[in-house]
Amino acid sequence: MATERVLVPIEQSVTLRRTVGYAVESALDSAGAVELHFVAAVTNDERTPTGRRAVEDAEGLLDRVRAWVDEDGGESMTVETAAIGTDRYLFSPRDYADTIVEYVHETGIDRVILDPEYRPGASAPMLRPIEHRLDEQDIAYEEAPVERRTRRAQFVTGGGASRFLALFLVSVGFYLVLGDPTYWFDLVTGAVTGLIVALTLSHVTFPKPPQAVRSTLRTLRFFVVYVPYLLYEIVKANLQVAAVILRPSMPIEPRMTRVRVAVPGGLPLTSLANSITLTPGTLTVRADDQELIIHALIPDAREGLFAGGLERGIRFVFFGRSATSIASPEERGDTEIIRGEES
Amino acid sequence: MIERLRVGAIVVLIAGGVFFTFVSTTGVLRLPDVYTRAHTASQADTLGAGFALAAVALAFGWQPTTVITVLLLFFIFITNPTAAHAVARAAYESGVEPWREDEP
Repeated sequence: MATERVLVPIEQSVTLRRTVGYAVESALDSAGAVELHFVAAVTNDERTPTGRRAVEDAEGLLDRVRAWVDEDGGESMTVETAAIGTDRYLFSPRDYADTIVEYVHETGIDRVILDPEYRPGASAPMLRPIEHRLDEQDIAYEEAPVERRTRRAQFVTGGGASRFLALFLVSVGFYLVLGDPTYWFDLVTGAVTGLIVALTLSHVTFPKPPQAVRSTLRTLRFFVVYVPYLLYEIVKANLQVAAVILRPSMPIEPRMTRVRVAVPGGLPLTSLANSITLTPGTLTVRADDQELIIHALIPDAREGLFAGGLERGIRFVFFGRSATSIASPEERGDTEIIRGEES
Repeated sequence: MIERLRVGAIVVLIAGGVFFTFVSTTGVLRLPDVYTRAHTASQADTLGAGFALAAVALAFGWQPTTVITVLLLFFIFITNPTAAHAVARAAYESGVEPWREDEP
């Protein structure tokens, strides 16, 4: 009997360990010989530190999968691991699916086992998931029947309703601000629009279910403390830059700098990068996690940036007063002036 | 008296808006490369448009249109750095070397 080849596409996920366990178990149970292929689809993005790390991460993950297979009693089993797609840029689930389909045809895979949490590429609702592509190509696949963590399941259903409601209210509210809240036509179209927005986008708008108390406090701190401070900084920096530009000698000293900021999380980081760009004289060129590459026009702006006033403000807004006592980026030694290509 | 103060404030704000738009235009013409120009181009939006819209809001006084003006300001403050970042990032990724005053 010919060897059956089973493909398991992998990425870091909560159910990966159990999916591997299931694949090994089903291979041990099967009558004929089974060859297990574990592949990690990695996008080619050599130019960014994250992109370069992705390949290393995938290889580390594949090594761990090999160890798990041995652990589950599959020492004698034929196991192939590969990182695929590293030669191209993968973006949507379809790109990932195409890479996997190609691998299936190249190596003559008979069956695909999918990790239930396997979601490569953007998880936007408009994009068809990977399963659809496999169906199209008539490739047999099954989802590994592993339990997701119950905590996670509750989290999703519990958050779903409040996320939906929050986005719906915000959309309708915004619609009515622009329209006329007393006119029935605007009320009806607003509700319909809000419903469509909330239905399609509620699970990508909020990474976590919104918490009313915390967000209110945050919004208050943001508008009462941070925005006035930011406006003051903007006006101050604008005057400094205006003085430099209008002086006939134009004494600019543009420098590319790298600052590692102590601000975790997507929204705080975005707010900070945006605030830095909004302040004239400093311009966020690249944001790679907490490592920002910032172009500074004049020495004053550079010093202000290294002193980390905005960073402290953002920390205050998102993490409270205790987070403001962290040293400035300069004192931490997280600042650096870089030249041209080295990055 | 209050009316006069209001008109005065509107004039000052518009003058500020015109001044920063002028500085921004001068900057775009005088500065040497794409990064430095991105700095000053976004300046026209933040304070140039900012002051002008503040003047508009003040001129309208208390009416629904003012809310929209303030919202406009809010969105300019979100989109403007995003656009400046996109320009700078595109330049950086296509390998444009930043200009330095100590190198010809």
